[in-house]
Amino acid sequence: MFTLLKLELEKLLRARSFYLSFIVLIGFVALMLWGFYTYAARKTGGQAVEQFKYTYESKQYFNGLTFALYSLLFSFTLLLPIFVSMSAGSQIAGEARAGTLRMICTRPISRASLIMSKFLVTAFHAALLLTFFIGLNLVIGLIFVGWGNLELYPGPLNLVDAPGKIMRDEALMRFGYAVLSGTWALLVIAALALLCSVVFDSPAQAIVMTIAVYLTLYIVGRVEFFEHLRPYFFTTDMDFWRDVFKPDIPWQNLWHYAAVCGAYTTGLLLTTVIIFERKDIVT
Amino acid sequence: MWVKLILLLLFCLMIFGAVHFAQPRESEQPSSSNNAVHSLRLLTWNIGYAELEDDTRAHDKDLPAVAEVILREDADAVALQEVTGNAQLKILLGLLQGKYRGAVAQQGRGDRFEAVLVKDTGARFIPVPVGDRYAQGVSFKPSDDTEQVLVLSAHADAFNAARRRTYTEALLDWAEDRAQSSRVFIAGDFNFELKAGNETNLYTDNLKHDSESYSHILRQFRDLGRAAGDTAINDRRIDYVFGPTSLQHVGRVEVLRNAAVGRMDHWPLLVEVGP
Repeated sequence: MFTLLKLELEKLLRARSFYLSFIVLIGFVALMLWGFYTYAARKTGGQAVEQFKYTYESKQYFNGLTFALYSLLFSFTLLLPIFVSMSAGSQIAGEARAGTLRMICTRPISRASLIMSKFLVTAFHAALLLTFFIGLNLVIGLIFVGWGNLELYPGPLNLVDAPGKIMRDEALMRFGYAVLSGTWALLVIAALALLCSVVFDSPAQAIVMTIAVYLTLYIVGRVEFFEHLRPYFFTTDMDFWRDVFKPDIPWQNLWHYAAVCGAYTTGLLLTTVIIFERKDIVT
Repeated sequence: MWVKLILLLLFCLMIFGAVHFAQPRESEQPSSSNNAVHSLRLLTWNIGYAELEDDTRAHDKDLPAVAEVILREDADAVALQEVTGNAQLKILLGLLQGKYRGAVAQQGRGDRFEAVLVKDTGARFIPVPVGDRYAQGVSFKPSDDTEQVLVLSAHADAFNAARRRTYTEALLDWAEDRAQSSRVFIAGDFNFELKAGNETNLYTDNLKHDSESYSHILRQFRDLGRAAGDTAINDRRIDYVFGPTSLQHVGRVEVLRNAAVGRMDHWPLLVEVGP
């Protein structure tokens, strides 16, 4: 298993898509920085104060931690799932497309071990992406925007229902928690993409199908017509990762949804293993 | 085989964890507090209709039901919104069997008015200019041994968050000046869209305006009805009673969800506070 993991890791590190994901994230952070910087300048300048007498968007509010939080929340829903789908979706279907799957399966390793090693490598990629993204945001935020406490207000970002504050050191710790909770949430997508990768022989098909399922549930979950279906979508459960940014973390709620996401992940993985073990590999 | 067994075991463990950590069903419901503390009982209610109707202001035929709720809850002061005018207020005061006095706000830009009702016969009604609109205030003493109380009935714009923000700022400026001499309560329909539930809206100006307005109020006031949950259809909490931050005792806080009649889209919010 260890050798298998090492081989899969080498494959991941050689893939161009692996580096592409980091480059796109760097581009996104640059875009966010530009947007945040100009917005902050506008909102703390004279024009904003002229229209309304009160605003919490002061120089103290706009700091590196706020920047990192905004950037992370904006990207998590739509950007990171794409890279995780790409990584997981090409794991088995990519081998099939390259014609190497049959050869791999002739080696004295179980198909279940192969799936698990590919999943663990994808999980590593997801964790690395999130760690890199959060770390980059914090560093860029510190250098270009400055340090301060994390102030939270109801409404935008939908994190709190009353104004709250997280002190700087505690907030940094919360970003650390977000790496764990965010990665755990993304594993649901990774498991779904791996299942699609086993079902479809083309990596493009597997990736598109995963993203299609994710986006469909995500969008449908936001439309009031389907309000009653919302609790049954994994996209709703995945939102638990944001709870670590609430001034008082609702631990019970967090563990509940983490367990639900875990059930989705393990259930999908089990299905993937069963299908793959019975699959007639002809490529 | 062992991989499948481990996965199955993990799956079962996760299901067990999900069940174990699930919130008890009753705690998902908004908690209405029922502490027995009462020196002042306030009620706010937008008695207008939902947008589907031709006339979304309050309807005369609903006034007996409105009066019944007010009498049953025995509120010391009532803040009403979307009243059609003085004539409607007179009908309502008649239905209240002379137990209340009332006043309707001056006409601003709109076709509907805020109103206040109060039991105290010595109460003084105060018009509150808020930009191009008017709120209505009433100053009274709930009992001889209590401080003077000022209750404002307010109604912020339903369609424009920036206007809500301007309105809130002006109202707060007015209230702040009076807070030195009275205990000020602001009750009404602010139409803030702030629900932090399951939605992950991306950043919008409208959300931010409402956020700024609400946060501004909370700098000086306490949101007394927060625990009581939604006050209008479509899971919206848009009716509020804000009170002084120094309040020591808050008693019963409840949204009276069976009170709406006809096509009303709001429920009354009742708040009891101590001395």
